Amino acid sequence: MKLFVCIDDTDNYDSIGTGELLENMMGEAAIKGLAKAGFTVRYQLFIHDDIPYTSHNSSMCCAAETNDRETFTEFCQKYLEENSAEGSDPGLCILTDDSSLDYSALIEFGKRAQCKVLTKEEAYKAAKEFGNGLHLSEHGGTGGGIIGALAGAALRAGKEEGRIKGKIQPLPNKPDWTTSEFASVFGVQRFIDEDGNEITDNLSIRFVHPTKLLYSKGLITGVIINENGQLMPKPKIKKNKEKKQ
Amino acid sequence: MTDWIKENGKAVFAGGKGSFEDAARVASQCSCFSEDCEDELVCDDAISCYNCRYRRWTATSFECMKR
Repeated sequence: MKLFVCIDDTDNYDSIGTGELLENMMGEAAIKGLAKAGFTVRYQLFIHDDIPYTSHNSSMCCAAETNDRETFTEFCQKYLEENSAEGSDPGLCILTDDSSLDYSALIEFGKRAQCKVLTKEEAYKAAKEFGNGLHLSEHGGTGGGIIGALAGAALRAGKEEGRIKGKIQPLPNKPDWTTSEFASVFGVQRFIDEDGNEITDNLSIRFVHPTKLLYSKGLITGVIINENGQLMPKPKIKKNKEKKQ
Repeated sequence: MTDWIKENGKAVFAGGKGSFEDAARVASQCSCFSEDCEDELVCDDAISCYNCRYRRWTATSFECMKR
């Protein structure tokens, strides 16, 4: 069975982040033979004074496959209770990944969480309306993490755009690539330019800076930029350079 | 110009989200700077308040949780 697993509000200022906790949890689940995890997508949720996020209000969601959903769910619940940071408000959402399901109301909830302050009651209402195939649970503190957990799983189910956790490092002694080679080596399924236009040509690119991939239109997506006439995967960070120009 | 504005008892960075040089300068003088996890780094400067785990983003800037 395929699932989306999302947790939120598990950290404090001195603990590991929620994304790392999710990876650790899924790693332990894999060791126990409970589930295999896919990549994790980060979704930015609403930044507002009335939302008690730690520092950036992002939600992390990974895909997973399990043969025993009940045992896997129990494992996740216990893991969060034992490993979430002191003072955090952890929430867990496990959502069935099945293209025959109608996620539209959930996706609407997820999109609202990116621009509005939502309540736990609204999260439970959205979960109840979705019905079977969705587990939502609180694991300490106020349990407010269920809002972000549900939103993250919903956005992932809706193939909404988010950043894939982690970065890709250039390989030593290989600066020159084609997009086709890059796709094959790093599992990229689609390329776009900085304006979001699809790139279908097999381009020559220079890969010398770490880059991050996007999850966009349900595909692992690389962004190719043109820097002074040189095509390259968009460097992971270049914000201050842009500002100084 | 001061780097911080007091808002409801919170220390909010006066430079907003685009003052990269100021954020790097302030962090370089701060004993509390600690780099956030890789996925939350936002600028090239190795030491910058914008990359610090103790900054809490707001709609227009960030507040420092150590001030």
